[in-house]
Amino acid sequence: MNETAKKEKGMVTNMNERIRKHINELFADAPKTRKAAELKEEMAQNAIEKYQDLVNEGYQEEEAFRNVIGSIGDVTELFDGLKDQDPLAITEEDRKKKAMLISIAAGLYIFAGVTLIVCMVFCTTYFYREPQLNMLGLALAALICIPPTCMLVYAANRYPSYQKKEENFVEIYKETVSRRSREKSIQASVSIIVWMVTLIVYFLISFVSGRWDMSWITFLMGVCAQAGVTLIFNLRRSQ
Amino acid sequence: MSITSDILRGHTDAIILSHLLEQDSYGYQINKDIMRKTDNRCELKEATLYSAFRRLEQAGCIRTYWGDETVGARRRYYSITEEGRRAYQTYKQEWEEAKSAIDRLLK
Repeated sequence: MNETAKKEKGMVTNMNERIRKHINELFADAPKTRKAAELKEEMAQNAIEKYQDLVNEGYQEEEAFRNVIGSIGDVTELFDGLKDQDPLAITEEDRKKKAMLISIAAGLYIFAGVTLIVCMVFCTTYFYREPQLNMLGLALAALICIPPTCMLVYAANRYPSYQKKEENFVEIYKETVSRRSREKSIQASVSIIVWMVTLIVYFLISFVSGRWDMSWITFLMGVCAQAGVTLIFNLRRSQ
Repeated sequence: MSITSDILRGHTDAIILSHLLEQDSYGYQINKDIMRKTDNRCELKEATLYSAFRRLEQAGCIRTYWGDETVGARRRYYSITEEGRRAYQTYKQEWEEAKSAIDRLLK
């Protein structure tokens, strides 16, 4: 590339930046939504194309710039439409729902812990001749842990943690990272459920059959299920 | 000039729909087309154009999608929907009636 072409290219980029900057200033008071970002992008693209046409027609750069800016008009009338609910954005209401779900889940976990302790105290006091009954408390606690775990999985799925705002590499990267961490959290939650179900099945089989010497095989099945979960998630990720 | 502009602005929606009947298009191209067809006498302010786009989109008359330009910025294209075609027909009919009425009144 020769010097003149290089200089021209630099000037074009500068002017594009200048047009974008001007449009950004026009949108300074606009609501910060995805719609607003899209409209800005659309206006900038059209303005840049118009500018280039004008320059090709023989306009001076400054003249062309002023012409482009002048034809934009009053954008404030557009702002109202941008406030509209963006179906993708996480709203204040959603944030509250998510916080509520997490607090209820935390409460249920604590409740499970308390149940466990109460059961143990109760059993050791009244049924000290049957130590197996202690296990019943553990099973109950594990059972109580299922709904909050499901709630956390749901919250992670339903209310994503990060929303893409602009179509650029940084945002796309951030989104990818956020999606990865979300997948990981879902995987972790599924694993927890698998192990709890395993634990409960173990106690159920043991109590019903009384074969404590054999029922430990349930845990081997748990390992298989866990391996299956990991496999499914890895397959999905590699797609 | 200013009267023409005003009347034109009142019909932005129909002008856009009419343009989209021929082919999918984007903001600047539509404006260029308006200028070409009116011998550079009329040009819509961009703000007017975009608010019309949003209005039509909300009414379900047009759909929008981003182009896949590899060079430079991506264009935001619009295409007309069935609803849009119906709206255009109604508009066109009303305009014909209004036009003949005004022609008779301004004789």
